[in-house]
Amino acid sequence: MGIIRASKLIYNYVRRDEDDHVEEVSRAIDNMSLDIKAGDFVAILGHNGSGKSTFAKQINGILLPTDGTVWISGMDTRDDSHIWDIRRTAGMVFQNPDNQIIGNIVEEDVGFGPENIGVPTDEIWKRVDESLEAVGMTAYRLKSPNKLSGGQKQRVAIAGVMAMKPQCIILDEPTAMLDPNGRREVIRTLHELNHKEGITVLLITHYMEEVIDADRVIVMDDGHVVMDGTPREIFSHVRELKGYRLDVPQVTELAWELAEEGVPLQQGILTVDELMAALLPLFGETAADAEQGKMVADDGAEQRETTLAGK
Amino acid sequence: MSIKAEHINFLYGEGTAFEQYALKDVSFEIEDGQFIGLIGHTGSGKSTLIQHLNGLLRASSGTIYYNGENIYQEGYNMRALRSKVGLVFQYPEHQLFEIDVFSDVCFGPKNQGLEQDEIEQRATGALRAVGLPEKYWKQSPFELSGGQKRRVAIAGVLAMLPEVLILDEPTAGLDPRGRDEILEEISGLHRDRHMTIILVSHSMEDVARYADRLIVMNHGEKLFDAPPREVFRHYKELEAVGLAAPQITYIVQRLRAEGVPIADDITMVAEAKTAILQLLRKDPK
Amino acid sequence: MIREITLGQYYPVDSVLHRMDPRTKLFGTMVFIISLFLANGVPAYIAATVFLVLAIRLSKVPFSFMVRGLKAIIFLLLISVSFNLFLTPGQILVQLGFLKVTWEGLRTAAFMALRLIYLVIGSSVMTLTTTPNELTDGLERSLGFLKRVGVPVHEISMMMSIALRFIPILVEETDKIMKAQMARGADFESGNLIQKAKSMVPLLVPLFISAFRRATDLAMAMEARCYHGGEGRTKMKPLKYAQRDRIAYLFYLIYLAVLIVLRLL
Repeated sequence: MGIIRASKLIYNYVRRDEDDHVEEVSRAIDNMSLDIKAGDFVAILGHNGSGKSTFAKQINGILLPTDGTVWISGMDTRDDSHIWDIRRTAGMVFQNPDNQIIGNIVEEDVGFGPENIGVPTDEIWKRVDESLEAVGMTAYRLKSPNKLSGGQKQRVAIAGVMAMKPQCIILDEPTAMLDPNGRREVIRTLHELNHKEGITVLLITHYMEEVIDADRVIVMDDGHVVMDGTPREIFSHVRELKGYRLDVPQVTELAWELAEEGVPLQQGILTVDELMAALLPLFGETAADAEQGKMVADDGAEQRETTLAGK
Repeated sequence: MSIKAEHINFLYGEGTAFEQYALKDVSFEIEDGQFIGLIGHTGSGKSTLIQHLNGLLRASSGTIYYNGENIYQEGYNMRALRSKVGLVFQYPEHQLFEIDVFSDVCFGPKNQGLEQDEIEQRATGALRAVGLPEKYWKQSPFELSGGQKRRVAIAGVLAMLPEVLILDEPTAGLDPRGRDEILEEISGLHRDRHMTIILVSHSMEDVARYADRLIVMNHGEKLFDAPPREVFRHYKELEAVGLAAPQITYIVQRLRAEGVPIADDITMVAEAKTAILQLLRKDPK
Repeated sequence: MIREITLGQYYPVDSVLHRMDPRTKLFGTMVFIISLFLANGVPAYIAATVFLVLAIRLSKVPFSFMVRGLKAIIFLLLISVSFNLFLTPGQILVQLGFLKVTWEGLRTAAFMALRLIYLVIGSSVMTLTTTPNELTDGLERSLGFLKRVGVPVHEISMMMSIALRFIPILVEETDKIMKAQMARGADFESGNLIQKAKSMVPLLVPLFISAFRRATDLAMAMEARCYHGGEGRTKMKPLKYAQRDRIAYLFYLIYLAVLIVLRLL
């Protein structure tokens, strides 16, 4: 059994009127089952409203299942007596960096979690030192959070979670409000924590570039898991992804488009290097062997004519 | 019609120890009907720059001309300028306040002092232009999805019938489809209404696709000002200032480095596809 | 205007005053304020000045920074000075129509102004040298006895600390909202009082909605980090008196004694 496990999970948002009568019920999670292995870097993709954020909040007991069960390290989230253990095991980082930093000074914010779970003072300092070091924010420990960039704020938030010595971190669109440099900063930090500290990372996002280095990618739509596999497997299904309101990196899209035209490229190309490795030999062939080049072109010859005419 | 900026300087904290240039000697002219992509990393001065164009910020020195008129001259009507040069800020949450979508969009025209009929007509037109389905018009703007909120925010500015529309990262936080939809609406305004568009963006892919001219800002200075395909040729210089080119540029440059004779100004997937297919299928001789 | 209030802003340098226990600083500020109300003559004000100058010098915060806090009370200062100046009966110095300035009025006005200015600078010294968290910690510990009569001291101090953290964020947000509405032709400046009040609606609604949203987000984030009230909480920076605090308390005692003696003389 993995560190995070959900079985037949159902969650309804219920809206009530003033007299507490149920006005509207909307199902955010619909019969979702999932098992996440300790030490993995898992990305959850899905468009806004696919239920991915609701799922994140289930993991550390901010929301509790309407039906079905979620276990964190074997603890049922509905078991009241374990709620603090669960939150300490599965730390959470949210989207808006400003709305989750409590302390007025970076180091005091990082110490907030350990204070809450009653860690002795000396140990708090040790943990704060280590956590700030792990996210590369030691130099900023005495700064006010308001003076930091978005990426730095998110790293402080991650350090705040790390200081509780969690086994896994769940990040609910941590990069949605950041610029490209801030996004890279945060993702790099997460991979480092995953590698060096063995922390299980559950990254919820809709930026495709952020998931190509994950061990596993889960796609959610309409409250359940619709795709589950390695990044390469997932990105092989470009059309399906687009159907879920998602996108693929440009390099993957180009490879896919070329393959659709009959160019013999494997599916699920994720990086420029991979595309080069696959594409360059083909140019070698055209140069060396005209016959083969022609064969390559056979499939989409007509389409090519129109494209060329269009140009 | 045009916006012309001449030697714009803007200083923060003027006269204090923290004095710092937010804009440094920025000059350019934006012709009617252009689609400009304004790029630069956070703190490069792009947000400061766009606020100068509708007079929300006043340059420390330099002049801005709108349609040939100096906007800093005595008695110039700044409020009229703001309705001509519409500025949509990044977060729709910062401007939505009315009880329903329609009333909110009416706010701009109402401030222009128009008749009720005209106001409603404008709001209707603006909401149609951004493609917001009519069933949402009487709903509270706060209950809409992120993408719909952005549409309402854009409509709120469009209803003033601006000639220039400036959008500060209109796709931040949207999912890929939501992003594409908003960009298509904006591109439609440019195409069908010949509006001048200035799009502030962090996505090189998006500006490569929609803009016909890029202005790249770095440390308050204008670094590049050229069509996207020319700017992205300087991808190494862009990287040096913490930016990048679209992924396609890198693919094309790598192919060229390996001796594949592909044009070096390709920036979009569709173009790259066509060019590669053409090269692969061409008889080698 | 709102940006110029230095009260509640921390100035990060390393000084004796910065390292002092917040309770000592709180108590010191209280002693200073009491002394200002005890003071009734030039010698007492000289003593207060010595106290204040000493504190400023020890704090290593540039004096100009402290004076900035005064901008916020300039209006109040002018009103109280002119009231005292013109309305105190006594020996007339100058008469301008119905306005008369008396010797007593001049004296009261001067002391009143001094008292207000010292009050603001004195509290600024404390807030500039004490992080908001230390401050609330100090308050929580000093007022801990109130817990026994049912006052939620920990909760109140946590609320204060969070408020302090969010003030700059909300100030910046106000600025952004104003600009967004001005871009839609909103006018926050002209018109009479009612029109002005009405023009605030497009500013206040988004601001309140955003503040509520931040509050819910923050509550969730705090819960996620195992916050469950003051019960069973440990401290990263527990308060501990050091030698310098004991010296400070001794100094307070002497200072108060001097002030009381001067008052009785």
